[in-house]
Amino acid sequence: MDAMIQLSHVSKSFGPVHAVQDLSLEIPRGQLFCFLGPNGAGKTTTIKMLCGLLRPDRGEIRIGGRDLQTDAVAVRRMTGYIPDFPFLYERLTAAEFFEFSGDLYGLPREKVRRERESAFARFGLLEYTHTLIKDLSHGYRQRLIYTVTLLHTPEVLFVDEPFVGLDPFTIRLIKNLLREQARAGMTIFLTTHILALIEDMAEQIGILVSGRLITAGTLSELAEATALRDGRLEDIFFSLTVSNGPTDREVSRA
Amino acid sequence: MRELAVLLAKDWRVAHNLRRLWAGQSRFKMAFIAVFAVGLLAGLWVLFLHGFRFLESLGGLGLMMVYRLFYLFFFGLGVMLMLSSVVTTYTTFFCSDETGFLLLKPVKIGTLTLYKTLQSAFYTSWAFFFMIVPFIGAFAMHEKLPLHFLVWLLFFSIPFVLLYSALGTLACLVALPVLLRSRVARWGLTAGVLLAVGAWILKTLPPPGQDDTFLVLNRLVPAIQWASHPLWPSWWMAEGIMALVRGQWGRGALLWGVLVSHVLLVGLLVETAGRGFLMVNWQGVQYASSPSRRRGVLLPSLDRLLGFLPRDIRALMVKDVRTFLRDPAQWSQALLFFGLLALYFLNLRTLRYHVLPPVWRNLIAFLNIFSVCSIMASLGSRFIYPQLSLEGHSFWILGLAPTSMARVLAAKFLSSVFSLGIVSLVLMTLSTHMLAVPGPIHVAAFLAALAMTMVVSGLSTGLGAAFMDLKQRNPAAIVSGFGGTLNLVLNLAFILVVIVPIGLVFHLHVRSGGVGYPPVFLLAVLWLILAAAGLTAGALFAGWNSLRRREFA
Repeated sequence: MDAMIQLSHVSKSFGPVHAVQDLSLEIPRGQLFCFLGPNGAGKTTTIKMLCGLLRPDRGEIRIGGRDLQTDAVAVRRMTGYIPDFPFLYERLTAAEFFEFSGDLYGLPREKVRRERESAFARFGLLEYTHTLIKDLSHGYRQRLIYTVTLLHTPEVLFVDEPFVGLDPFTIRLIKNLLREQARAGMTIFLTTHILALIEDMAEQIGILVSGRLITAGTLSELAEATALRDGRLEDIFFSLTVSNGPTDREVSRA
Repeated sequence: MRELAVLLAKDWRVAHNLRRLWAGQSRFKMAFIAVFAVGLLAGLWVLFLHGFRFLESLGGLGLMMVYRLFYLFFFGLGVMLMLSSVVTTYTTFFCSDETGFLLLKPVKIGTLTLYKTLQSAFYTSWAFFFMIVPFIGAFAMHEKLPLHFLVWLLFFSIPFVLLYSALGTLACLVALPVLLRSRVARWGLTAGVLLAVGAWILKTLPPPGQDDTFLVLNRLVPAIQWASHPLWPSWWMAEGIMALVRGQWGRGALLWGVLVSHVLLVGLLVETAGRGFLMVNWQGVQYASSPSRRRGVLLPSLDRLLGFLPRDIRALMVKDVRTFLRDPAQWSQALLFFGLLALYFLNLRTLRYHVLPPVWRNLIAFLNIFSVCSIMASLGSRFIYPQLSLEGHSFWILGLAPTSMARVLAAKFLSSVFSLGIVSLVLMTLSTHMLAVPGPIHVAAFLAALAMTMVVSGLSTGLGAAFMDLKQRNPAAIVSGFGGTLNLVLNLAFILVVIVPIGLVFHLHVRSGGVGYPPVFLLAVLWLILAAAGLTAGALFAGWNSLRRREFA
């Protein structure tokens, strides 16, 4: 299998808190992998380790066959990361930020300009091209960060909670974009709490509880494993995480 | 190098956009900032010029000291730059979201370190240039130096600033992993600093029976000798500039070369240290806090201490204190300003100010009041004014709480009065005690500090409510708005119109050798009380009126 993302026995603790424990996972090229788990399960820690923002205490991470610790710059050239609340230079315009990103990756200026035109047109950002980022709404900031992150056509994309605070139009736009990119061969690793969207998009699903990967597979494989053959992801999720999350009775009472 | 150029080009664009934003700001605000900046520069220039003329008037020793002070000035500035750079490096490297963003980009860690070092040097040096301009202007004028002296000054200043800032950055990068890892190291460093300050105070204590002239010689001559050592970069700078002024081009160029080569050497060391420590330090700072470290040690006592207040007001006050204590940007600045003042006041007797004639002691006492009031005005404008706006998206919690807006405002006001009041009254008592001034000046200083506490708290809370901006999350942007500027103007106006005249009344009275305290003092105190009460009540009413009519969703 041509694994783009490989984690072997990865662990990370913050003081007494074991955020991720002995996590091993392989995600092949071109797959849209969704990481699920209750709050505090270790999803964001995992994604930050995959991006290289956090160093695992134990274990090894390879992206596209390269070691993240020893070949960090090369890995960053082939990856992109979109956090739920990304950092943007408030006092640059959308166009300036886009061009700055192109310069960082050493892309030809002409190509960057062409890409900007088409990406901004697609994301409805054309009228904000020369607007300062500080004056953009959350939705438009998210659209901008997607255009900027995809500019260098990363082979692997990490997305943390991509749909927080977005309107249905932007959600559909991003959903279609992620599907397209995965079809074109991009490996996508995303975390979200919106189970319906995962059902709709994900090829593989991993469920993390208290820092441990309790299962991973396609939706039907998860259904089989939990003996919920026609079950929805919500039922599967609750049946797997019941000891950590609220029980069905508590949910129905609420 | 390409990556560094890209990052610097981005900063250039940001600066260009900022200039455009500033151009669109209110003229009142820009004029106010310009007047105060020019006023400060002019004030410092006059002060330095008088200092040089005073030294000249002393004759032989004074004349010799004028040039030597030039070396001492750069030595002191260098040390301050380095210390300031340690703090700036910490915030620029490890508390900035930009670092996390750039760590994800294909930028080499060494390049990122160099970029952040330059950024830190820039933030550190603007105050340096603010200090250097009036001193050098006064020095050049006093010594009738040619105009090209200023060109050489600029020529040397850039590597000088880079060198000392980079040294501060290096110290921060190397020391931080140890300090982050070990509580013992943190306590050790604190104890070391305290011991060093204590040793310095003991060392500078004058032997009994020395007169003032001997004391000045005893203290200044070794300091000047120390600062004039040819191994200091400050000496290379001072000596290099003077060599160029005298037309000794070769010597000037050599010293500039020595300075620049050291910048390059320290740059290499910083880059190497960055490769080893930047990532570790960044992770350590970003993910250092664990829930176990969030125990409120003092807060249960504070809750009990405020037991006489209604429960809702008490809860709001404890919340504000908790937020303040958990934001190092706030308490560290307050600690730095008030700590330096406390250190200075503690040393008033070491400096033998308490044996000066009454006119001087009185003057120093009021200058101290002025310093404390100015710092209170600045901290109030920076930290208390934006507090209500910073409630931001969570303001609805206060809006829907079963308490009135008047009580919310009262809680904010009282938090500010308690915190500022304790510090300012302690400082004022310390100052007047160390100066051994007569009783009425004790009372006047105490009343002035109390009045300023009320005014700063009232204006900052009241105007903070009246000009509340819940959408803005950046405190600097809140403070720089119209309300923030007005708040600062009114605070400073109170100092100029109320505090300064009281000092003047006392000063003129003591200088004219007057005995007793005529009715004019009573009038001055009455003016202080009425002005403080009026301004505080007016601002609080404006704030309450605005909150009362406000929607919170």
